[in-house]
Amino acid sequence: MASFLKSASRIPPAYFVFAALLATLWLTKPQLMNLNVMGIFIRQVAPLGILVLGQMLVMRVRSIDLSGAGVLLLINYLIASGLLGDMPLTLIIILSLAIGCAVGLFNGYLVAMRRVSAVIATLAVTVIITGFVQFLASGKPPGNMPELMNDIYKMKLGPIPLPVIVWTVLTMTMAVFLSRFVYGRFVMAVGENPTASHFSGVPVERTVLVAHVLAGFFAGVAAIVQSASVAVGSLRLGLEMPIDAVAATILGGVVFGRGDGGVWGPFFGVMCFALLFVVMTSFGVPEPGKQIARGLIILLAAVFYGLNTRKS
Amino acid sequence: MSTSKTHNLPGTKPNRWLGKNSRQGNWWAALLLIVTTVLILLATTDDFATPQNANNLLAQAMPLIIVAIGQMIVIVLAGMDLSVGSVMSLTTAILALDGSPLVLIPLVFLAAVLIGIVNGVAIVRLNVHPIIATLSMQFIVLGIAQILRPVAGGSVPDLVVSLVTGSVFGVPAPVFWAIFVVALGWKILHGSRFGLYLFAIGGGVASGQDDTAHNFGLKDGRSIIIAYVFSALFAALAGTFIAGRIASGDPGVGSQFALDSITAVAIGGTQLSGGVGGLHGSILGAVLMALLANGMNLAGLSAFLQGAIKGVILLLVVAMQSRKKMGL
Repeated sequence: MASFLKSASRIPPAYFVFAALLATLWLTKPQLMNLNVMGIFIRQVAPLGILVLGQMLVMRVRSIDLSGAGVLLLINYLIASGLLGDMPLTLIIILSLAIGCAVGLFNGYLVAMRRVSAVIATLAVTVIITGFVQFLASGKPPGNMPELMNDIYKMKLGPIPLPVIVWTVLTMTMAVFLSRFVYGRFVMAVGENPTASHFSGVPVERTVLVAHVLAGFFAGVAAIVQSASVAVGSLRLGLEMPIDAVAATILGGVVFGRGDGGVWGPFFGVMCFALLFVVMTSFGVPEPGKQIARGLIILLAAVFYGLNTRKS
Repeated sequence: MSTSKTHNLPGTKPNRWLGKNSRQGNWWAALLLIVTTVLILLATTDDFATPQNANNLLAQAMPLIIVAIGQMIVIVLAGMDLSVGSVMSLTTAILALDGSPLVLIPLVFLAAVLIGIVNGVAIVRLNVHPIIATLSMQFIVLGIAQILRPVAGGSVPDLVVSLVTGSVFGVPAPVFWAIFVVALGWKILHGSRFGLYLFAIGGGVASGQDDTAHNFGLKDGRSIIIAYVFSALFAALAGTFIAGRIASGDPGVGSQFALDSITAVAIGGTQLSGGVGGLHGSILGAVLMALLANGMNLAGLSAFLQGAIKGVILLLVVAMQSRKKMGL
């Protein structure tokens, strides 16, 4: 029994939570349980899911990235404000990815080379970008998103929405990248023990730097998908996204330095969020309640892993 | 305290107040910046050296000074408390409830003690990283504050308002607040056995051995939990001050204070990696932040841009601190 419990506690909480939420929906709102409705729920969390791919990577090398909020806001504003003029879509996408990578490189430099606390560094980056964007917009909401982006966002392949496919393909690529390439081993080694990795010849700093650049890249992709999902630009994109990304990652069994949940654990962590917001909305939980749920999820998931890794 | 000695590398001279191995950190850099800022403001603006502005300045700086002292107590032991801002918001929300101040004020501090204990127990007993524990607590507490008071409003008991805006023999109340919190902070950090434990625990973590203090027989777990209770209590005190000033409840009032207090503490020479720092440094840091905000206001800078500039300052200060550990 004890060994069964021990092996059960290795399974990421995301799978249990997902099953529980699915059962709750099945019992209380059976009319929602069809492929079309579910597709729309899951499409809503596609930006979060893409952001989680980067968050997972940096958390596996014992870092964290809260700058996603800033990247999202900046790209959202740039596209909606018309500052880019009549730039073709491909150029907008390239520019967004470049912004994401640049912010990631900056984070990575601060965290890996200057050894700045990752929370402080990435939070400060978000504060700086947010202040700057709000200054540019002088508090007024920006204009409309290009219609073309929204049209692409609404496309479907069979019953599955395009953003969900993009998210799944990126997740698969990430899984292959981490399991088949040397970099994946580096990530695992640095997460397990940075000092031992350093003396074994693993380029610790470079591994962390690259993880942050990739996280910035995924934040750029998430920003494009998020911008496509709304008709109008917004200045009210807050810290919720990166915090939800942290929560989903921990739910999915990836905590600082440990990647038990692999790539698919966090994937299901995000799916939990898709269902969680539906369940909470259908039960009439107000916005502050969601705030509390957000905090409780991170705390409980972290406690779950904290107890598992406690020194005996 | 008099028997305590700082540990130094071989060949370096111990110096408790100045220099590279000071346990107090580089607090004089903040002092230098304050003097420079004051001189610049005196030279460039006419409104700076007015009694009106001095009053404003003290009232502006006071909440940050109070939170920074609490923040410093946990930073010295290599922790961090991101939930202080939400505790301040919750405090104003509770004080703006209907009820007697004799019930509401104890309730505020009871809530703070509870939040501190949950933070501390999660970190010490349940092995959660301090940043993650207090980050999640930030959202939980903010949610509770928003339930109590969805939008800014309500009214705070007159007792609280007069405690903050009143004056005794012509001396404005904030002066007494300042004396009280500084004396309390000094006693906790530099005048008690508990304070010495804090530096011992943090110094151990900073040198790479997380359990040094534990191995020397300190009750480190208990001290850490008490430290988080103190930081929540100081946040509640700051929240009470703000509630008295705005005379209403506001769930958004504390949102800036978590990062601002960390910036103030770091500017004051306290190392975020633990074990190094002085109370006077954190107070100077908080005063400097208030002076900068005051100066930017006088210069008519956009509030949004001020936020960005504060972020740049935070980044610069933490990037200049060296530490061994990489990551969180």
